[in-house]
Amino acid sequence: MSSMTAAKDRAPAARSWRRELSPRNLALVMNVPTFVTICLVLAYPIYYAGYLSFHRVGVAQLRKGEFPFAGLDNYLRLLDDPLFLLALKNTFVFTFITVSAEVVLAVAIALLINQQSIWTSRVTRVLILLPYAIPPIANGLIWSFMYSFQFGFLNRILFSIGAISEPINWAGDPETALYAVTVPYIWRTLPFAILLVHAALQGIGTELHEAAAVDGATVWQRFRHITLPLLRPILVVILVLRTSFAFAVFEEILAITQGGPGDATWVAAWYSYKKAFAPPFDIGTGSASAYVLALIVGALALVYVRFVYRRVQ
Amino acid sequence: MLKPTPLGRILLHLANLLVIAFFLLPIIAVTIGSVQSEKTLQADTRAILPAEYTLDNFRVILSGGEQKGKVFEQVTYLPDNIKKFYHAFANSVIVAVSVTFLTLAFGSLSAYTVARLQYRWTAWLMTANVVARFVPIIVLMIPLYVTFRSLDLLNSVVGVIIALTGFLLPYAIIILAPYFASIPKELEESARIDGCSRFMAFLRITMPLATPGLAACGVIVFIISWHDLLIPLILNSKAEFMTLPVVIASLVGDVHVFFNLMMAICLLALLPSVILVLLLQKFVVQGLSVGAVKG
Repeated sequence: MSSMTAAKDRAPAARSWRRELSPRNLALVMNVPTFVTICLVLAYPIYYAGYLSFHRVGVAQLRKGEFPFAGLDNYLRLLDDPLFLLALKNTFVFTFITVSAEVVLAVAIALLINQQSIWTSRVTRVLILLPYAIPPIANGLIWSFMYSFQFGFLNRILFSIGAISEPINWAGDPETALYAVTVPYIWRTLPFAILLVHAALQGIGTELHEAAAVDGATVWQRFRHITLPLLRPILVVILVLRTSFAFAVFEEILAITQGGPGDATWVAAWYSYKKAFAPPFDIGTGSASAYVLALIVGALALVYVRFVYRRVQ
Repeated sequence: MLKPTPLGRILLHLANLLVIAFFLLPIIAVTIGSVQSEKTLQADTRAILPAEYTLDNFRVILSGGEQKGKVFEQVTYLPDNIKKFYHAFANSVIVAVSVTFLTLAFGSLSAYTVARLQYRWTAWLMTANVVARFVPIIVLMIPLYVTFRSLDLLNSVVGVIIALTGFLLPYAIIILAPYFASIPKELEESARIDGCSRFMAFLRITMPLATPGLAACGVIVFIISWHDLLIPLILNSKAEFMTLPVVIASLVGDVHVFFNLMMAICLLALLPSVILVLLLQKFVVQGLSVGAVKG
């Protein structure tokens, strides 16, 4: 069978001086650049991060080029570090808030821009992509200006409409700081979720709604029993993708709070970054903490591949 | 189509205004913040609009610190990174353009094999790509830093391009493969009957037909590379290799830089990607939805 296909594939090439590759080999050759790049930048580093997490790697070891084996020391140190546990807890809180808010807002806004007869909905539809175009670090800095205690834009607006009489320290108060950084993140990543829901809404015909309306169903009943069940697959996609990305939030934290005030907004990615790339440059522990993050996200990825990606169309 | 009631219409308009205000708020803030001086911003801490407008923030950034204008006349210290705005801008363009080009080239070669020459391992490759998309950059950065350090790729634009290309390649293949699968096989087959090799048929027939897919994938890859902070932040420490996001991040801890100058440089950094996204809106929308679910 394979020799037959091979012979068939070679036939047209016999006319030219070059022999054509069999499809099997052509597929391999065409994937060489991808294999090389992915091995260098993705596969090997993921293996190597695991390796580093079981070794002692600091400035001295980097200079010498020898990393002594440390067993589970780095991981045990993590479990002993209240800051790491706090960072994990903050990451879970941050992810829970941003993802649930995004799913609810995405459905609401997607339904809103789906209203053909409302002209303001068309304006909104043009604007929803805007946050996607803003660099995350610029977004963070803009919101740090918005939140500034003394000079902030948000306080200025609230003063002007008479909502407050004293300035509010949005991102500087340990009680509110973590919630404050969720808003810029939601703002920046919402377009993606809205787009997916909006695309899914286009696939739901108006017939079902019209039939239900004739039978006397209210707007809410129609949403609850027709739209929502049909949106479920895309909502699962959004849930899994957004959760795994929110787990790695970094830029907004760097720009707005740098983990502060105190350690109120330390999150997982910030912990790994500070451990590995700020004095005393403990790359071993940094890798171990990054690996914990990778395992959580990896579990989500497997759920996505196994149950979500193939089922949705 | 079901028509909303008059009261419903008013509520929908109000809801739209609320959403529009939410989306525009940071854009208004960055614009107003960038067209005034430190003095006006500090003089009245409760007014939305400044008493006086100035373009000096942009002037000092775009002239590389040469023209200080009225606002910065007395200023003796300006961060070096702000003076190197053009350099950072050029680095950002070089990185984003090269990464887009490389990712599209490598990505279409792979996506074609996934869509057309289906083997068991190409299906695995696709699954691996979907999993790879979930890997957070921070997880890659620590081992990449150590590896690139020993390969002497730290402090170079090339290192950043290699790292970003590898990071974005799986996503690009996920977006491109459904596009290639949607192009009719028959066109390629008739070219092959005319004596075209399979690879030439891919280059001359399939690739041109995949242009919308390449555009959708290209604009998304360009935007992500233009925005990326962590890779150049960790791989490069010298000012001459910094990209715009790194320059912006370097201002975060600088107590001598006030909001106005920061807002001006943020506005300059976000303009290119905003223009690109608004111009190529259709492709961005297509690419994002195809990349999330199989087309």
